[in-house]
Amino acid sequence: MKSAAPLIKDAPKLPGVGEQALPADAVLDDELIMDLERDQFVDATSQPVPRAALSTSALVGLWALRVFVVLVSMMVIYTFFDKLH
Amino acid sequence: MAATDASAASGLGGPRLTGEDSARSLDRSRVHDARRQRRRWRLVWLLVGPGILAMLGENDGPSMIAYASDGAQYGLGFFVPFIPLLFAMAFVCQEMCMRIGAVTHRGYGELVLQRYGKAWGWFGAGDLTLTNLVTLVAEFVSIRVGLAYFHLGAGVAVGLGLALVAFTISGGRYWRWERIVLGMALFNGLFLLAAILVKPDVGAIAGSLDFSPFPGGSFNTLLLLLASTIGATVTPWMIFFQQSASADKGMTPRDINHGRYDTAIGAVLAAIFGIGALVAGAALLTHNGSGIEGFAGAGFPEALRHVAGSAAGAVFALGLIEAGAVAILTISASTAYAAGECVGVSHSFNSSPRSAALFYAANVGVALLAAMVILIPGAPLLSIALNANVLATVLLPVSLVLMLMLANDKGLMGRWANRRSTNVIGVAVIAFVGLCGAAYGIDSFLQTTHIIGS
Repeated sequence: MKSAAPLIKDAPKLPGVGEQALPADAVLDDELIMDLERDQFVDATSQPVPRAALSTSALVGLWALRVFVVLVSMMVIYTFFDKLH
Repeated sequence: MAATDASAASGLGGPRLTGEDSARSLDRSRVHDARRQRRRWRLVWLLVGPGILAMLGENDGPSMIAYASDGAQYGLGFFVPFIPLLFAMAFVCQEMCMRIGAVTHRGYGELVLQRYGKAWGWFGAGDLTLTNLVTLVAEFVSIRVGLAYFHLGAGVAVGLGLALVAFTISGGRYWRWERIVLGMALFNGLFLLAAILVKPDVGAIAGSLDFSPFPGGSFNTLLLLLASTIGATVTPWMIFFQQSASADKGMTPRDINHGRYDTAIGAVLAAIFGIGALVAGAALLTHNGSGIEGFAGAGFPEALRHVAGSAAGAVFALGLIEAGAVAILTISASTAYAAGECVGVSHSFNSSPRSAALFYAANVGVALLAAMVILIPGAPLLSIALNANVLATVLLPVSLVLMLMLANDKGLMGRWANRRSTNVIGVAVIAFVGLCGAAYGIDSFLQTTHIIGS
């Protein structure tokens, strides 16, 4: 699997707000902002991460495992219903 | 809470702030305060949760019945060391989930869907929904079995389960949900109390640590034992749940060590309580496991009452009620997380029902659907309960492989990606789980279709 540069970095913090004059009702929210990392905000997490480029062998392996698991599951479900009768 | 744009209002150009962010920030401020003040135990208290809930949530009704059945049919040998071994395997998997959630702040479902494509995301969600639905039916059965001991019927079981789901999600805060369920989960210790009440031979427990005697019976029975016991320890919902809950809790890479303590504490407690159920069940061994076959009619606690007294029977019945109730809450939550993540809408206990309608609807809806099944007259509840763990084991390998890929994805995980030693253990766990599940499924099918003899 190919990988790009890290998307999640070491906890970058929001800029400080101490020096700025804020509206009274904004103070609480801004204090709370300081306790979340930038990539923790809903705004950030709602952005999708880029699609990974899976190698052909990885894809074949995953599909083979998927088909195998579905087949075995069907066997288990068949056995379950057969034993009911 | 309505979304505000406080940072834009203050001219800082920060991210848009939602009610979910505000609630999570409040929880994080406590963590930062505890860390700044070097209050270690306070920090542990604040950061434990997802790991303990995943592990004790998996000590659910069918799992505890499976352990007790193992004890009743085969005694303590083999299973006393096997259960901790399985929880060690579960720790390896769950630690990865916690780490991915803490680093990426995203749930398993959305990461798989975005990183590897919609097909894999929806396959995972489909597997999860199927196994969760079957397991939830088994949880309601478990509550029904426990309540039947006190002469209460299926309607009470349904009402209790649904009322708990509605009550726990009503606060609009992850913290509140987590703490209520955590408080309930500690009553999983009732199985340890049940084990003490049957007055076990401590020497026999200690003597069974060498994996002997190995369970007898046919090859298929052994495979069923392995598959159902594995399914009682590592399941797809745990993967979805712990990663999503870690992200919802607001865990960050700085919290990974505490996340490991949380997961390890959960694994140790779950193993001890699981062995408790095994030991309690083993009290029926000399009675050839009598009574357990009729457990849909409260046979297990009733059988225990005849052998070890009414206190043991009552405690075991209460344990089954607790195990089913906690699992209903955690499994419903994992379904809700997966639904929200795959559809791409708000999926957090920190969101209001209005802003996360699908999340809350899925949480209640899946529990409601399972509850309706146990009210169907003549439904094969016993068979469903016994097969829930096996189906989970069979479907688990794909989820585990994708989880291992995520944990190794340096693009996502950076320096928190898996080490080689973790990968070696992870691959061994996947191979073991896959082989046991597949061997049971294929062997049972071949016997059922009379291709091979039993």
